[in-house]
Amino acid sequence: VVTVLELLPAQLPWWLAGPGLGLCVAGLYGLANRRLGVSGALLAAVVAPVERWRVERWRVEFLAAVTVGALAAGLLGPDMRLTSYPVLSTALPAAALIPLLAGGGLALGYGARWAEGCTSGHGLSGCAAGSPDSLAATATFFAVAVAVTFAAHALGGGAL
Amino acid sequence: VNGGARASTVAIGIAFGFLVTGSGFGNYATIHQALLLRGWYMFAVFGSAVAVAAAGLALLRRAGTTRYGGPLRLPHAPARRRHVYGAAIFGMGFGLTGTCPGTAVAMIATGGLGGLLVLAGLVGGMWLRGAAERQARSQHAQAVANQREQPPLSPARG
Repeated sequence: VVTVLELLPAQLPWWLAGPGLGLCVAGLYGLANRRLGVSGALLAAVVAPVERWRVERWRVEFLAAVTVGALAAGLLGPDMRLTSYPVLSTALPAAALIPLLAGGGLALGYGARWAEGCTSGHGLSGCAAGSPDSLAATATFFAVAVAVTFAAHALGGGAL
Repeated sequence: VNGGARASTVAIGIAFGFLVTGSGFGNYATIHQALLLRGWYMFAVFGSAVAVAAAGLALLRRAGTTRYGGPLRLPHAPARRRHVYGAAIFGMGFGLTGTCPGTAVAMIATGGLGGLLVLAGLVGGMWLRGAAERQARSQHAQAVANQREQPPLSPARG
């Protein structure tokens, strides 16, 4: 268990977090003319070196900065403790949990690259700009995610 | 080269990571409850974020320029099949894991070890999609080359 300072509440109020995230999106455009997106940053930081193409450096720096911010919030908040996976790790044996998480991650990565963006790049940045590809992608992934969650919940007898 | 753009990108990245984590999105339960339509928190955050960002971008559009990045360029791309198909696959992963690329970083940063597995899968999935697209491109190029090699029309008999 990591030492906890607990200066932050478990969850920032939505009216602080939401507009704050919105300002991040608008601010990155207004200051640097850049589209905020985490999957693009992961692609540049981790996949591009393997595929050997030149990345825009700011994407890598952005990912590092996001990590620093996440660590800072973790250290200041009550939520930082070593856990395997809430809910799922109690409902499922490791033999089911591990392939579920890795397979789910695989779908996230494959889908994000195919769709050219994820929850941040399409969901926040693209939707705020009113771009049709982002609106279509966002409507699709939220609808599918809700459907999959309901299906898993039903199949798991309410445990998932 | 462009110190202002660089500094603002880093500052905004830190703020973004802080807010995503401070909102508890690194916790599976937060997103899971929302996707079960039992909690409205995620949708309130997401909706207000898009609303504020859209208002900010509307103001920026009027100005037409950015502080450190020259004339404003906002995305405007038609919705194609790849955005729907890709997002559908992405949504499956989103529903199964209760996390997405940004919140997976928050999950790992707050000690969620399972997030490492999701992130490993995520990177592998991106690589796999890249490989699939490279293969599709080379097959397409091969098909075009084959077409060129064929004679334009069969010669008339007799």
